[in-house]
Amino acid sequence: MKIDLANPAWQQTLPPARSLATDAPVAACAFNRDGSTVAFALGDGCVRLLPADIQQAAPEAAAPLHTGVALSLVGDPAGDGFVSGGDDGRVLRLAADGTATELLAQKGKWIEHLVAHRTGAVAASAGKSMFLFRDGEVREFGPHPSTVAGLDFSKDGSRVACAHYGGITVWSLSKEVVLPPRRFAWQGSHVALRWSTDGKFIATGTQENDIHVWRVAQATDMRMQGYPAKVKSLSWTADARFLYTSSQPVFTAWPFSGKGPEGKPPLQFGDEGAGLMTVVAAHPTAEFVAGGYDSGELQLGDIRTKRSVVLKMADGSPITCLAWSPDGFKLAVGNDRGDLLTIDLRR
Amino acid sequence: MASPQTSAQVPVTVLTGYLGAGKTTLLNRILSEQHGKKYAVIVNEFGELGVDNDLVVNADEEVFEMNNGCICCTVRGDLIRIIEGLMKRKDKFDGILVETTGLADPGPVAQTFFTDDDVKARTRLDAIVTVIDAKHFFGQLEQGSEAEQQVAFADVILLNKTDLVSPEELKKVEDRIRGINRYARIHHTEKSRIELDAILDKGAFDLGRILEFEPDFLHSGHDHNHEDEVRSLSITADRPVDPDKFQKWMGALLQIKGGDIFRSKGILAIDGAPRRYVYQGVHMMMDSDWGTPWKDGEKRSSKLVFIGRNLDGDNLQRGFEECLK
Repeated sequence: MKIDLANPAWQQTLPPARSLATDAPVAACAFNRDGSTVAFALGDGCVRLLPADIQQAAPEAAAPLHTGVALSLVGDPAGDGFVSGGDDGRVLRLAADGTATELLAQKGKWIEHLVAHRTGAVAASAGKSMFLFRDGEVREFGPHPSTVAGLDFSKDGSRVACAHYGGITVWSLSKEVVLPPRRFAWQGSHVALRWSTDGKFIATGTQENDIHVWRVAQATDMRMQGYPAKVKSLSWTADARFLYTSSQPVFTAWPFSGKGPEGKPPLQFGDEGAGLMTVVAAHPTAEFVAGGYDSGELQLGDIRTKRSVVLKMADGSPITCLAWSPDGFKLAVGNDRGDLLTIDLRR
Repeated sequence: MASPQTSAQVPVTVLTGYLGAGKTTLLNRILSEQHGKKYAVIVNEFGELGVDNDLVVNADEEVFEMNNGCICCTVRGDLIRIIEGLMKRKDKFDGILVETTGLADPGPVAQTFFTDDDVKARTRLDAIVTVIDAKHFFGQLEQGSEAEQQVAFADVILLNKTDLVSPEELKKVEDRIRGINRYARIHHTEKSRIELDAILDKGAFDLGRILEFEPDFLHSGHDHNHEDEVRSLSITADRPVDPDKFQKWMGALLQIKGGDIFRSKGILAIDGAPRRYVYQGVHMMMDSDWGTPWKDGEKRSSKLVFIGRNLDGDNLQRGFEECLK
């Protein structure tokens, strides 16, 4: 990945992009496994599939798949398409051509969070339960003390952590060796969760505008404060050395290499953006990071040079989701008023 | 194309009332009648409503303590989540109705609108509407504190099932309600039949509309019931208020008595200020702002209203007088 943010071309011109306007808020976006298709989950129940190649024309919108809002979306780790969840309580597997198969129907529940693991497993939150989809099987884990407000797979895919009121619960997924769930307690409500890419840490954002991080092996924990808003977006770097957090005007990364972040300030870098960062997404392979703001601005940062460039100007519509293509050359962006943006960063 | 929801806050009406008082009947009316408006409804018992509508959302009341050292600071975690999700819809709606369970304390739901920034940015608490079963109200008062609390929190009360009681019984019930909360608007209803504009879009938590909402607001009065009962009282003063002293006094009062004070409101004539100072609160949480200017020659008087338990009117009056110039 060759991107030089110090190069004047990056400072002066916005990268080529395809922008498609819809009239429904974008709840989530994702690329499929091979990076050939990008998809956006919308507030009218549609999941819009587009060629990742921004030169290709966008096909017409298909009929809504969910009856309310398509709330969550991931690339299908076991196929060429996607898996989506809606506030109609359904989890759907979408083939590359958009045809849908129902994996789960939980009337009255919302499917707010979906995560995928490269081994082919997908996990979904539905009310107080977590559902696991693997090898054609559906298993339910729970109930948790409250609605699951965030979840993630461990590095090897053998466990899933769920965030809820009063802490997090880690489920062992093995059917051969059945282990009881592990509960990591911290009072208050946990509203986002990301397991570190090396498997050692689990981070949550809390209702009280803090970050909470547990060391999984030792079950010790730490708290980071000082945010002006709830941190609903967390992203670990590919090498697990840093945890990026939203809700600051600049890129904010907590260092987890060496002795960890305790007693240290976070690394903050880049030009101050317009407003607060709503979504942050670390690059899948290199040391870059994308951050979307509540003003609609989008920045790309480089933690080595501590520089950042603007990829999209502020336009008043908060950025709601970001996703990197698997090769890290394309970035999908969705916002609150329904713009579906695919940016090509190859220059 | 800016969506109307992002530019204007969606009004939220909280519907409380004891089991069987008529909340579900009222919601069914709102959802099925032709009024040209669209409401999202958050209910606690799915399937009780006869209307199948994708804007009906099932919620388990998840009351969360805020991990911020304030013991009575509880919020409805499910509501924060659901409001965020509803705002992702393409189909816009005119308002949100939140039905609480029959035994719910309205405190956490109201406090959610004071506490959570995301909820505050996109919605506003419009009013707390309490449905009361005229026939069973006295029995419900004896069963616990819930029925009393639901009356205490109310901005609008539907005194329902009036056809099932005699005029004398009805008067007794209404007097008892007035003893608890003298500031709510009471409507007599049968089978929860009411014009929607009597309960929706009332602006009861709108600081700019404090005067407009309560016709009795400037009439002061002390009731002399037992102190442990929930009641409402008001304090007035004609001398200007010293803002620093008032802030100190009110801050300390809510620190100590916040758990017992369900609702509070006030209009203050601040010394030297050309505008009214208005505030309103739920338990320890408070919102305040400058209101309309005093007119030339207008009598500048201040008034505070409290609805709560264990209220010592004389003590409050003395405390407030210490804050006057």
